Amino acid sequence: MNVNVQFREDGNVMRGYIEGEIDTFTAPVLRDELEAVQIVEGRRVELDLSKVNYIDSTGLGIFVAFYKKVTRENVQLRLVGLSSRLVRLFEITGLSELMSIETDAEVELKQ
Amino acid sequence: MVGGIILNSKSTVEIITEWDIVVARQLGRNEAKIIGFGTVEQARITTAISELARNIYLYASAGEIVIERIEEVEKYGIRITAIDKGPGIDNVRKVMEDGYSTSGGLGAGLPGVKRLMDGMEIQTTVGKGTIIKIEKWI
Amino acid sequence: MKELQIQYKKILADYLKNQTERNLYIGQNFIRQLIQKKVTPEEVISIHKHAVEQIYPDITSEILNSFDFLIEIMVHFGLTVQEHQSLLVQQEELRIEMNVATKIQSMLLKTAIPKVNELDIGMVSIPIRKMNGDYVHFLNDEQHYVSVAVTDVVGKGVPAALCMSMVKYGLDTLEYANNNPSYVLEVLNRIIEKSVDDSMFVSMFYGTYDIKGNIFTYGSAGHEPAIYYNSRDQKFYDLESRGLLLGVMSEVKYRQYKIHLEENDFILMITDGVTDFRKQGDLDPRNVIKELALNYINLSAQEMCERMYAYLKDLTDFNLEDDFTVVIFKK
Repeated sequence: MNVNVQFREDGNVMRGYIEGEIDTFTAPVLRDELEAVQIVEGRRVELDLSKVNYIDSTGLGIFVAFYKKVTRENVQLRLVGLSSRLVRLFEITGLSELMSIETDAEVELKQ
Repeated sequence: MVGGIILNSKSTVEIITEWDIVVARQLGRNEAKIIGFGTVEQARITTAISELARNIYLYASAGEIVIERIEEVEKYGIRITAIDKGPGIDNVRKVMEDGYSTSGGLGAGLPGVKRLMDGMEIQTTVGKGTIIKIEKWI
Repeated sequence: MKELQIQYKKILADYLKNQTERNLYIGQNFIRQLIQKKVTPEEVISIHKHAVEQIYPDITSEILNSFDFLIEIMVHFGLTVQEHQSLLVQQEELRIEMNVATKIQSMLLKTAIPKVNELDIGMVSIPIRKMNGDYVHFLNDEQHYVSVAVTDVVGKGVPAALCMSMVKYGLDTLEYANNNPSYVLEVLNRIIEKSVDDSMFVSMFYGTYDIKGNIFTYGSAGHEPAIYYNSRDQKFYDLESRGLLLGVMSEVKYRQYKIHLEENDFILMITDGVTDFRKQGDLDPRNVIKELALNYINLSAQEMCERMYAYLKDLTDFNLEDDFTVVIFKK
């Protein structure tokens, strides 16, 4: 079980590709990676979760903390490529009302 | 804790380059040998000097190591004083905790230095610098 | 030290004369003694050097120098060993403190299931680690109202336990069982949002049952939806009520909903430890739970909870990785 994050700058968007399972053990890794991201006002941050198959409550906490951090800096955060299981998780927790999330299918439609 | 009468004049090494650490070690070892410390104790004293000198070299722009012989009623020893005008240590208590050494930062080796010696005293002011005195008795 | 030096010299000399397993074994037992006496690695090498010098008076200075070199570089090794030993002592102290804290937590968060004539209540809450991240709080109001809060704190261990105490005292100050779920959730959200860090939050399902009117009013803050069984339709309904987790934002409104309970209806409140099968495959955990509940429908609410736990615990797909809590209100 591992988590791997890679960031790529794409114009005005900072894209993060996350891969793996985000649980109590891997969450600290993700937290450190996200903390290292340079947040610049006016730029968007997009996290691609299409290769994330599991998030537990600690993992969810990392996204909440990151959301709060970027919002304080007036930066937009979008989560994309969520599987139906992850969408369900964000819906149950009410976080889908707060953050902008997009499913796997929506991304495919655009391409 | 730190006291005693100074016997001889002290020797001072300025720490500017990495090789000055070696000079300080050599001086310390010679003194320790003359005072009569055994091989293991010499190695410990030298290691302690090395740690203090490295801290100066890595974290302070200038500093010096002072080595002197000390004597009390029927006992002899060595005192090493490290003086620098570096950043100072923000939280001495934390630096002295075991486990801090993994951080590798300023003062990481200090708990070890304390173990190697018989006495240790730290005076430090953030932004001004640090004076560390250590001593060991035969 | 002198004594140890003499003993070591003898053991080494025996071995040099006769390289037997027995002599090695004696050597290992001796080092055990040295460790107990906190003799450091560099001292051991120094002892060895002196013993070799005595056994072979003609030994070359090169070999002796090599021992001095080893003494020098082993000083750091010795420091690491000493640090490790001191950390072990500290760990033991922490373990003892942790045990005390666990006892305090379980005392603090002790939940008694209220006895109400018109409603059958059951509960099972099992922590995965020492400290439970789930918490069930009941309020019972002179046989007019029974309320329940089913809570799950993110994270585990000590931070979760501290946060949990806060939730408990928040609920305690609300005191009356007839408070509206949306009011309770809004108050708790404000308390938690003010006091915890950014990655901390709590999910809660809160329900109030009006005993005379048979009306169950509920609201949820990011919690796994409760399951409602309607015995007349013989059907299950998910009590969906999307509300944000507690502690994420300061001013959040929570909606509340009402259902009327008929004879043999029941409500199943769970935490995500119950539905969180990591390797879920085609199995929908919520369906598994519904089926299970149906199997045990003729039992008391408490027995239903216990049987469900017993069954899920032994299920191979169900890797119990989280605290497990089930509460049943059965009419």
